[in-house]
Amino acid sequence: MDDSDIMTVFDRRAVRRHRDRAAAGFAGFNFLFEEVADRLADRLDDVVREFPVALDLGCHTGELGRVLVGREGAGREGLGRKGIETLVQCDLSPAMLAGAGGLRVAGDEELLPFADHSFDLAISNLSLHWVNDLPGALLQLRRALKPDGMFIGAMLGGETLFELRRCLMEAEMDLTGGVSARISPFAEVKDAGGLLQRAGFSLPVVDSDTLTVTYDSAFKLMADLRGMGETNAGLNRRRQPTPRALLIDAARRYAELYSEPDGRVAATFQVLYLAGWAPHESQQKPLRPGTAQARLADALRTEEKSAGDKAGR
Amino acid sequence: MSDTKTGSTAKVDPKLLEILVCPLTKGPLSYDAAAQELISERAGLAYPIRDGIPIMLVDEARTLDSDNAHPAKLAGH
Repeated sequence: MDDSDIMTVFDRRAVRRHRDRAAAGFAGFNFLFEEVADRLADRLDDVVREFPVALDLGCHTGELGRVLVGREGAGREGLGRKGIETLVQCDLSPAMLAGAGGLRVAGDEELLPFADHSFDLAISNLSLHWVNDLPGALLQLRRALKPDGMFIGAMLGGETLFELRRCLMEAEMDLTGGVSARISPFAEVKDAGGLLQRAGFSLPVVDSDTLTVTYDSAFKLMADLRGMGETNAGLNRRRQPTPRALLIDAARRYAELYSEPDGRVAATFQVLYLAGWAPHESQQKPLRPGTAQARLADALRTEEKSAGDKAGR
Repeated sequence: MSDTKTGSTAKVDPKLLEILVCPLTKGPLSYDAAAQELISERAGLAYPIRDGIPIMLVDEARTLDSDNAHPAKLAGH
């Protein structure tokens, strides 16, 4: 649509196409989504709060929904975990949605179709790493939350597939004397907190997990990525099919560098967890400097010694 | 209900209609039950509903302009 925009990194039509294509066989490849859905739900369990109306953004075939409200009750009446009464599941791919249950909407994270203050909770399971304008998407999400509503999302982070990135790069360098972008750029932990703040979330928290998955070979890994609908959708990707010789050489390097003792190869998936709250007056805030009601020295029963510099008033 | 052309029997859940807005304008939508469309007058687009699932993707929306079934744009707002 707007390929001239320099901020546009991903081809959203390709993201959708990859998901549409992967949808029918997704059940055979969704282990990572199921694993992270469990971890997201565990994090949610730590929050002492009920969330009657929830949104799952980038729901794929409903992995997170099944964890939160059960296989049968997805989106229907009947309380799920964390007091969820209504779960709206949204994905860019209508074909993926066909595999989910309950209340479904096809929608784009970059252009959310939800009214302000609609949800008590917004969750996202491994989808936001394909969004071009992440600050914009988070801003729209925050607005779709009621005041004091919570967002928690998992997305792939910078260390993801570093092994494959290196092997493809080195193989391509040897074969053609140049490299092209074959693995997505991902957000880093250090950027994520700032992104949440820019989008207006209070009390932002970011942490990360590293999952190591082993495969028979790099070929099996690449086939799995296709099955997950996670193949390269960068706008600057090469449009020609990858030469067979490059793949064979990359797989050889992969086996040399990253084999486990049992002969399988390891692949890293780094998952970033972003959490924040839509602002509300009840939330704790730091006091303004200089508004202290009691002296620290008194609390410590000690004598105040000047450090030489005074805080501004 | 009037003549529903689509064979789909699934209806869109009223709970969804309450929270959906036009993704482009964030403005209100009107529900055309017969055509199974959600209409954004401000954007001049009709978003299809398939098997009860609103497809809120601009790529898939029908442009209202020429097929004058909804002269909303002429009305101004």
